[in-house]
Amino acid sequence: MEKRAIFLPFSLLLCFLSTSLLPTAQAIWLTLPTTGTKCISEEIQNNVIVLADYIVVFDDHSNHPTISVKVTSPYGNVLHHKENMTHGQFAFTTHESGNYLACFWVDSHGQGSRDVNVNLDWRTGIAAKDWESVAKKEKIEGVELELRKLEGAVEAIHENLIYLKSREAEMRTVSERTNARVAWFSIMSLGICIAVSALQLWHLKRFFQKKKLI
Amino acid sequence: MEGTLRRRSGKMWMVLICLMLNCFARIESLSVSVNDVECVYEYVLYEGDSISGNFVVVDHEIFWTSDHPGIDFTVTSPGGNIVHSLKGTSGDKFEFKAPGSGMYKFCFHNSYSTPETVSFYIHVGHIPNEHDLAKDEHLDPINVKIAELREALESVTAEQKYLRARDARHRNTNESTRKRVIFYTVGEYLVLAAVSTLQVIYIRQLFSKSVAYNRV
Repeated sequence: MEKRAIFLPFSLLLCFLSTSLLPTAQAIWLTLPTTGTKCISEEIQNNVIVLADYIVVFDDHSNHPTISVKVTSPYGNVLHHKENMTHGQFAFTTHESGNYLACFWVDSHGQGSRDVNVNLDWRTGIAAKDWESVAKKEKIEGVELELRKLEGAVEAIHENLIYLKSREAEMRTVSERTNARVAWFSIMSLGICIAVSALQLWHLKRFFQKKKLI
Repeated sequence: MEGTLRRRSGKMWMVLICLMLNCFARIESLSVSVNDVECVYEYVLYEGDSISGNFVVVDHEIFWTSDHPGIDFTVTSPGGNIVHSLKGTSGDKFEFKAPGSGMYKFCFHNSYSTPETVSFYIHVGHIPNEHDLAKDEHLDPINVKIAELREALESVTAEQKYLRARDARHRNTNESTRKRVIFYTVGEYLVLAAVSTLQVIYIRQLFSKSVAYNRV
């Protein structure tokens, strides 16, 4: 989770050196209001790499607002928390499966009556894979690298299908259990109704006999 | 929260020109909480790129009705025209060709007071055509085929993300049903017992000595 310092000449050089088919960081832009938090969440399964970059987009050179970031795991652990940032990066591997939340808000002491635009590049799983290091390690390039990426995409699709299947199995268990419970609880409700009314009648009969009315 | 198109500084323009070496761009399937209007922006590099995606309203507290009234979805082009819009839907897929390059705005509008969580996925796909092949000597005709293959795999991935989001919504409904069954049934039993006890107490009171000397 080291802070990535963007050196513009370095990034320009990197961009020009990258091959034309390399998927680089294009992402969504969010508009942060001057007060309040904006949160982005994703449901991620266990053991998945998450990589994210965020940059505050400046309208003009005079106004330099800063934002704060907080990333929480589904169990409430804070994975990344930084204040007063204009750009940054965080990466983590998920240890639990659930909803991961990344919240952004504008720092209050900044000069701000306008909304702040943030560029967020959020990648999970296969999209977070560093293909450059794979290319360097195995000394492949060009078409072979592209085909390797496609192979990775196909594997990711396969894993996704397996995940969907297991999810569906879990839901089916819950549905069937609820189905059984509805039947049992309804019969029990009928039983309780009958029992309670029998109790009522018995109690009232005893009461009236005690009062010598019947 | 309706943002307007913002001008970028010179520095960002330079970085973006570098990013024009891309062939495609995508983001992962994210969820955002929509109170009234939530907008997400995405930059489209080439005119004629195919923008595809889907969104599903995942988290909503419906009580009586069986289906959610839905949210509205609009896509605005950089020129300000509404390119695509869907009204009153609780989840759908969309695909259209970008009429121009620039910053596109994808907005979700929630006309109800309860906040909704919307899970969305947007993909901008570009397949290099002969014009790009002529311009860039690094591009081979095989790159076109690879790009088409990649787009096809992307569409499968997009479908999977849609299924995952719908599955998440189904799971929410299931969990809600399970909780309702337990709470409402136990509550029903308790209320039944309480009401019958009250009945008995009331009838006893009617026959108590202190009221009208046993005259009911």
